[in-house]
Amino acid sequence: MLSELILRIILGTLSVAAFGVFFGLLYKGIDRKLSAHMQGRIGPPIRQPFRDVAKLFEKENIIPDHAIPWVFNFIPLVGLVATISILLYLPLGGFPPLFSSGADLIVVLYLLIIPSLALVIGGFSSGSPYAIVGAQREMATMIAYEFPLAILIITIAWNLLQKGVTSAFSFSTIASMPVWNQVTGPLGFIGFAILLVVLMLVTPAELSKIPFDSPEAETEIAGGLLVEYSGRNLAMFYLIDGVKTVVMASIVVTLFFPYNLSAFLGLGSYEAMIIDIVFYLFKIFLVILFSVTLIRVAIARLKIDQIVYTYWIPLTLASLIGLILVMWDGVIMNIFSFT
Amino acid sequence: MTYLEALIQHSVALIIAVPLLSAFLMPLVSRVHPILRNIFALLMLTVTGCFIGLLTTDVLANGPRIYIFGAKELTLPLVRILFEVDGINVFMAIITIILAIIAVIYSWSFLDKQDGLDKYYTLLLLVVTSALGMEMTGDVFNFFVFLEISCIASCALIAFWIAEGEALEAAFKYIVISSVGALFVLFAVGIFYAQYNALNIATIAQAIQFSFLDKIALILLVVVLGMKAGLAPMHMWLPDAYGRAPPSVTLVIMSATLASFYGVLRILFTLYGNILPTSIRFDLPLNVVLGWILIVLAVVSILIGVIMALIQSDLMRLIGYAAVAEVGYMFLAIGTTIAALGAPYATVALHGGILHVLNDALDIGLLFLVAGAIYYVTKKRSLDDIGGLARTMKFTTVFFIIGLLAVAGMPPLNGFTSKFLIYESVYQLNPILSIIALLCSILMLAIFIKVLYATFFGPELPELKDVKEAPKSMLLAMGIVAGLAIFIGLFPNLFLDSLVKPAADALLNHTQYITTIVGGI
Amino acid sequence: MFTLESGSGFWNPLIWILIIFIAFLLFYGIRGFGKSLYKKGTEQTKAFLSGNKEAAPEEMHVKASNLYWGFTVSMSSLYSRLRKMHTGNVSDYLLWFIIVLAILFLVIGVI
Repeated sequence: MLSELILRIILGTLSVAAFGVFFGLLYKGIDRKLSAHMQGRIGPPIRQPFRDVAKLFEKENIIPDHAIPWVFNFIPLVGLVATISILLYLPLGGFPPLFSSGADLIVVLYLLIIPSLALVIGGFSSGSPYAIVGAQREMATMIAYEFPLAILIITIAWNLLQKGVTSAFSFSTIASMPVWNQVTGPLGFIGFAILLVVLMLVTPAELSKIPFDSPEAETEIAGGLLVEYSGRNLAMFYLIDGVKTVVMASIVVTLFFPYNLSAFLGLGSYEAMIIDIVFYLFKIFLVILFSVTLIRVAIARLKIDQIVYTYWIPLTLASLIGLILVMWDGVIMNIFSFT
Repeated sequence: MTYLEALIQHSVALIIAVPLLSAFLMPLVSRVHPILRNIFALLMLTVTGCFIGLLTTDVLANGPRIYIFGAKELTLPLVRILFEVDGINVFMAIITIILAIIAVIYSWSFLDKQDGLDKYYTLLLLVVTSALGMEMTGDVFNFFVFLEISCIASCALIAFWIAEGEALEAAFKYIVISSVGALFVLFAVGIFYAQYNALNIATIAQAIQFSFLDKIALILLVVVLGMKAGLAPMHMWLPDAYGRAPPSVTLVIMSATLASFYGVLRILFTLYGNILPTSIRFDLPLNVVLGWILIVLAVVSILIGVIMALIQSDLMRLIGYAAVAEVGYMFLAIGTTIAALGAPYATVALHGGILHVLNDALDIGLLFLVAGAIYYVTKKRSLDDIGGLARTMKFTTVFFIIGLLAVAGMPPLNGFTSKFLIYESVYQLNPILSIIALLCSILMLAIFIKVLYATFFGPELPELKDVKEAPKSMLLAMGIVAGLAIFIGLFPNLFLDSLVKPAADALLNHTQYITTIVGGI
Repeated sequence: MFTLESGSGFWNPLIWILIIFIAFLLFYGIRGFGKSLYKKGTEQTKAFLSGNKEAAPEEMHVKASNLYWGFTVSMSSLYSRLRKMHTGNVSDYLLWFIIVLAILFLVIGVI
């Protein structure tokens, strides 16, 4: 029992790490190619991020004079390892999660903080004023987007609770009872649609993409928190960015669209697995297209106090309206069922 | 009766008697040699800890234990002072004695160059005695007496650094607040005695009705003990007192604060346990109204605590505001339990709240110890004057990072386990509460990352060039607390099943407390 | 047995620690493929300030009170009100105590 568990952990971690890194960099390349075409350029080939990582491993790993060496070197690794660990708890490719009774939605919410926290601590320990400005902007952005994110996670779990489900936060429950099947009327549908839009707007802030990438503003503060990083440490941060894209897209897909095509088509076992994985990758591609690429090429960068204002006033109000609509969902249908 | 059984039977009294006696012996012992005084304090506290351990194993196996001062068995009329010890009492006593032992180990080197240390150790042992007395007594007037002892001894300890004027001001504010509070508690005790002719908690709990005088007593006790625990908007003394006292003193004052929180628990669940479901106007039962008031005050505490802590520049004052927010979390869990009495998630909320008492004591204690180490090494209080200390104080940095992650509730440390239980039970009462609690957890992280950067990162400042690592005993104290934090985080079920669940059961089954005394006559 | 279960979720810290440990070993090995040498003490290790001269360390260290400017300035109305509430006067502390006592009396005692 114990040895089987340890074997599952080892093999699962290694394979999921390979999956996460490969598809993270692949989607990063696709994103760059698509945004280049939208801007009228040709853009780099899709395998460019792999070349970037290989090139970064060839560069020198400079540690500045004013940095704290042991924190500076250790933190990117911590961030990457925590991001990989989230993937083990999500239902990837339409399969149930590897360790479904090991963590639930609240744990994943906290584990999502760790990569951004690693960026912040790395920036603070760099010893350069640009990095400090970037790091405190990243911290302020984190405070900003956690509010709507918390609201929508609690709403989803609360809705499942009202339908009488125990383990409302566990991923296997959420993946097996899709959100759109749990609403009983138009109000709940509109509420969840609002929450989906909010989540798609929180995703670029989590991934530090334009218009919310004030911490890593290349044109304002010369690269922000990553200004002093180079070589293999910067490669680690690059990988964190790629893997976190896959993680956030997987979370959006799991919370709102956990449907499997094979159940629809009724196929056999091997074809079902392949169709499931392809459909899952396609769903992740759609999420990245809409919430990262399209927004990135359309809107300019916001200032940091505009970011805090955007998340704390309009988006929080929108998610609160979504919460209230979901809470009143059953009430309106009860009223209508009496007429 | 074997020697061990006799020891267990009298351990209830010895837990109070040993620190009290050693407090009075302390001036004599410290005349001999300073090192003897230090060892004597630690030895007596360790002996008390052993008694608490013995009592815990007995209470968890055999149920509540009574100790009657001055008689062999219970006879009517119940005029004796009774100590009744059940699961929640031993839990709080364990927290108190851990904090006290850590504080003494820390003060060995933190205060080694100061004067008046014999009075310091005397007062410290008195505060420990009073906290233990508040937590183990079964008699309302006795609770008031121990409350007064803790007020006076804590006030003198807060003013330890007399050379700074602010410490005297903080002590003055503390004694004014505490004296006013204690007088109102005495008034409530007087109401109980006048109505029921008894001062014993179990007797009053059995006989209590919901008359107008009882309502007054309930409100007085809850509000005063909430103020002593740091509930907003009556929290303002807490950053003053915690920010100006030496950090080892702050640890024992925190145990007195947590003893006041225990007082709220005892009053709400046991003393008024029989009449909590009675309904006041609009068909609302008392527990719903009272629970929601506590929840509102708790949410205000959490918000005010984190929002004010974000702009502080004095390190210990900042940690004081973070302590206010943590007390808010505890009251949020308790308020949910009371408002939803009987639902399954109310039990989970109570587990989360009680476990959070332990976690909060350890985490905030660790942060104060690190703040004290920084003050000891650099002699500076404000965050604006220090920087770049991680180069020379590596261990302190690691302990601070552990404390930071624990207080913000990051997995896998202990803060996450209790906050996990609180989030996943409070959202069933109302989702908005869980959302605010989640948000303020992130703000807590932001606050302490700011402190981490300002003290430990950055270039080497020339005025702090010859700063060395903190002394060994301070590192030992910090290491013990950090190790406990990691251990509780990695094995939460161990502590949950063995300590927290019996404590929660003892609170929720209040009739067992009553029948142990009243039925035994 | 090692999983913490609230009514609605699970958390198993030991499995997470094992996952972290194995992933750490994997990525530490991958990281070892990168170069670790650099030229110490040259222009490389000075902070990048877009070509400006580096100032003395005290002046380069951003003060802690100036941190999180973005957050505090967007919430400035809230902060000014909260600051005014915390006066530091003991009479005000007792005033808040009496206010809470009065509200609770009205809600529970009278109504």
